Amino acid sequence: MIFEERQLEKKNFSSRAVFLFVLVGVSFLAVLLQVFALQVSSYTSYELAALNNKNYSVPIQPLRGEILDRNGDVIVRNQPTFDLITQPDLIDNPERFIKLIKPVIYLSAKEEAQYLKKFKEKAFVNKELVLKKNLTSEEIARFNVRSFGFKNAFIDKRYRRLSDYPKIFSHVMGYTSRSDNQYDLSMDIPRSHWVDAELIYANGLIQGKTGIEETYNQHLSGQHGKRIYEINSRGRLVQPLEYRPATKGLDLYTNLDIQAQISAARSLGNRKGAVVAIDLRSGGINVLYSAPSYSINKLSNGMSVEEFESLISDPKKPFFNRASQGRYPPASTIKPAIGMFGLTNKLVNWIDEVDDPGYFTLPENGRIYRGWKEGGHRNVNLKKAILVSSNTYFFKLAYRSDMIDLSQYLSSFGFGDRVCGDCYDEDGAFLPTPDWKYSNLNVPWFTGDTVNIGVGQGYLVATPLQLANYISIIANRGKVLIPLIVKEDQAIFKIEAPKDIALSSQNWSKMHDALTGVIESDYGTARSIRDLKNFQVAGKSGTAELVSLDSKEAYLEIRDTELLRDHSIIVAFGPMPNPQYAVSVVIENGESGGAVAGPVAIEVLKSLLNNE
Amino acid sequence: MNKFTKIYFDPYLFFSILILSTFGLFFLYSASNGETSIVFKQSIYLGLGFAIMLLTSQADPDLFRRTSLLFIILSVLLLGVTFLFGPEINGAQRWVRIGPFSFQSSELLKLALPIFLANFLFNKKLPIQSKEIFISLVIIFAAFLLVARQPDLGTGLIVALSGIFVLFLSGLSWSFIGGAVAILIISSPFVWNTLLQPFQQQRIATLFNPGADPFGAGWNITQSKIAIGSGGIFGKGFGEGSQTQLNFLPETKTDFIFSVIGEEFGFLGVLLLLSIYFFILMRCLYLALSARDRFCRLVIGGISLTFAANLIINLCMVVGLLPVVGMPLPFISKGGSSLISLFFAFGIIISMGTHKKLLPQ
Repeated sequence: MIFEERQLEKKNFSSRAVFLFVLVGVSFLAVLLQVFALQVSSYTSYELAALNNKNYSVPIQPLRGEILDRNGDVIVRNQPTFDLITQPDLIDNPERFIKLIKPVIYLSAKEEAQYLKKFKEKAFVNKELVLKKNLTSEEIARFNVRSFGFKNAFIDKRYRRLSDYPKIFSHVMGYTSRSDNQYDLSMDIPRSHWVDAELIYANGLIQGKTGIEETYNQHLSGQHGKRIYEINSRGRLVQPLEYRPATKGLDLYTNLDIQAQISAARSLGNRKGAVVAIDLRSGGINVLYSAPSYSINKLSNGMSVEEFESLISDPKKPFFNRASQGRYPPASTIKPAIGMFGLTNKLVNWIDEVDDPGYFTLPENGRIYRGWKEGGHRNVNLKKAILVSSNTYFFKLAYRSDMIDLSQYLSSFGFGDRVCGDCYDEDGAFLPTPDWKYSNLNVPWFTGDTVNIGVGQGYLVATPLQLANYISIIANRGKVLIPLIVKEDQAIFKIEAPKDIALSSQNWSKMHDALTGVIESDYGTARSIRDLKNFQVAGKSGTAELVSLDSKEAYLEIRDTELLRDHSIIVAFGPMPNPQYAVSVVIENGESGGAVAGPVAIEVLKSLLNNE
Repeated sequence: MNKFTKIYFDPYLFFSILILSTFGLFFLYSASNGETSIVFKQSIYLGLGFAIMLLTSQADPDLFRRTSLLFIILSVLLLGVTFLFGPEINGAQRWVRIGPFSFQSSELLKLALPIFLANFLFNKKLPIQSKEIFISLVIIFAAFLLVARQPDLGTGLIVALSGIFVLFLSGLSWSFIGGAVAILIISSPFVWNTLLQPFQQQRIATLFNPGADPFGAGWNITQSKIAIGSGGIFGKGFGEGSQTQLNFLPETKTDFIFSVIGEEFGFLGVLLLLSIYFFILMRCLYLALSARDRFCRLVIGGISLTFAANLIINLCMVVGLLPVVGMPLPFISKGGSSLISLFFAFGIIISMGTHKKLLPQ
């Protein structure tokens, strides 16, 4: 090549080489910018991502609070049991391990299979595995003697939720069970880590499912602790990094009274029914019992499928909480409220008498409404009408009442709506209005319907809890307190405070006087329970008819079928003249109110007064 | 100066490579969770590599020119041997065993092809003719196919690039380049649909959206970005990178060793590392510009740009700018054959850059 050509070639090469090396430089710059973006601009998010990679946080289960009665006695507690826990990563051969440990502890075939099934996965990730729950004291002793031979296993305390009165408090306490979604997401622990939670309960992560356990789950459950492990990319635990202990849940102080609850259960016996008692000073619920009952301990800690099925299919419906969900006609127990409505609206007074021939004829169509006593009570004023429970008096009064006003008045006593501040799944039962009937049954409200309401029959139904609330408003002379299971400073209020009921104090005194007469006077319908106690009690009994019949003879015929027999009801408060407790009792198919439900109410009142 | 007493040596390249590969041993120590045997083995390869580099640089450029045909035939034969006898690893045949040594046979072709093309083109008149372009392209394409069908698409592309660099530097006309680029763009959908394997398509798709499947296809790139990003400005410290030490980062000893550096030494470490690489490349450019003849210029340019492409592809891959392709970080990643061939390559560069003609032709 000649010189010029070489110079040209060299220049050509130089410019092209420089061009390519500039491209290389630009690429370097691009890489550097990207690294800058990763390491400087987005540093915090990548730092977090790296931490999330290596830090494996697991929650530590807290102990639930205990539940105590009004005297500080424990109703539900945490019972320690002992479980045998193994460290699978220290066990080379699980089959041989089981063979070695079998003479020490009893293992069912099922437990053995369960263990072997879970073994491999747990060994891989260096986590613990329970071999046997609830060791007996002999098993514990045997293991402790030989524990030097089992470096890969240890005994640890695990709790069970337990009540010493499992059947007495079943409905009101409710049960706990393994939670479906009991993640505390405020914990900053990924959802998938919760399966590895460090457990304190033998049943795993538990939560309240019904009753107080459910309503106050937040209070009771406490705060989860946290342990952070360093893990590698295969999820194997490398070392613990951080530990924050769990905080035990709050102990819950209730208004319930163990002794009174026991006496309610004992006096109801194996009859179906419910008892509710309220402390008139605080509105606290002292007794909330429904029969028949079941064991919450079994429901919380494992019940056989057969037993569960038999409870579910039991025609007596043991799971049904009659106290707060049972709907019963209030029957004659409504009469004081009807009377007060009459007084408030100047429809009646304490003096004027009405003739009671034993029945009431509806002027519109001549339909006859009968009283419970053949021939009637003749001349009755309001007090006597309450004492002898004259149906005719209240038929007549109700006939003259405006149903819209009456319905509103009854609702101020809590009928037709939930009354309890913190009850689980309370039923508001039903208070009818003319509008409701017209829009739901397509028939207008008849005066005959109002007449039925006058004696607590017809469309009106109430729960035993509502009846207890109603009678405590009367006992408290119109002051309305929200019934609460848990003492007020810890309580949850699911409802708003209702208004008090206005009536002159003279009228209140006369009403208390009349209701005391129901039990304490010679004419009272519930005088049969007068001698069961040494203090005075006011109250009103009722017999709720399940079938509307025209005559006594007709009732005697249907009486053969137990399920069609009248319900026996009483609402009562005492001791008079300065009442402290109100109580309602409903006994299904128990017939005569005073004689059947009355003694139960007296037993509960006695127990509450003895236990102050 | 007596020809036989002169030692052909470039202190700039020598010391920067020495610094780089010494750093590399530390990085490798951390990346292999403190396994000293790997570091020991690597340092033996390094020693061997330096010896090869020094030895190679003593040879006169004419030797490479005269043996370039032999060299490329040898390389192709080695590929053939790999195809016939090489063990299959992860569905690919890339290695050949010679006695106790395993060698990645495509490494040689990366050097043989540019030397061969430089020899073919260095005495051609400017601008080079279509016939010469055609012959060059056929050779390049054949070399590409030989490697790509192993299959090793990444190295195949590097081999092709090594030839294309020489062709470009030797004076390929701009209009031709423009036309080629246009054809490439137009045919890219065809390449995507028919030539690329599904896993290759996935790798490219993953690049643009690694979050779509962070535990599957996007795992490597996601973890690499987390490692680098969490290093911050100063890094987590030697042996302290959680992504590296707890094995969240894949392939720490080979392809993703840059992420280890990023995690443990931070942005400053990366800056220092890139500066050394950049210095090496600038020195190569200088040697190319001041080389004694066209053949040397073309070889230095071709080989050093191939080295740069190799480096940039690795860097872009681990920082998430390019799809994942198997490509080691030069002088740092674990691997004997790539180290040896690198030192051999720089031996050739030094030889071409330091041998001067005593008399102008």
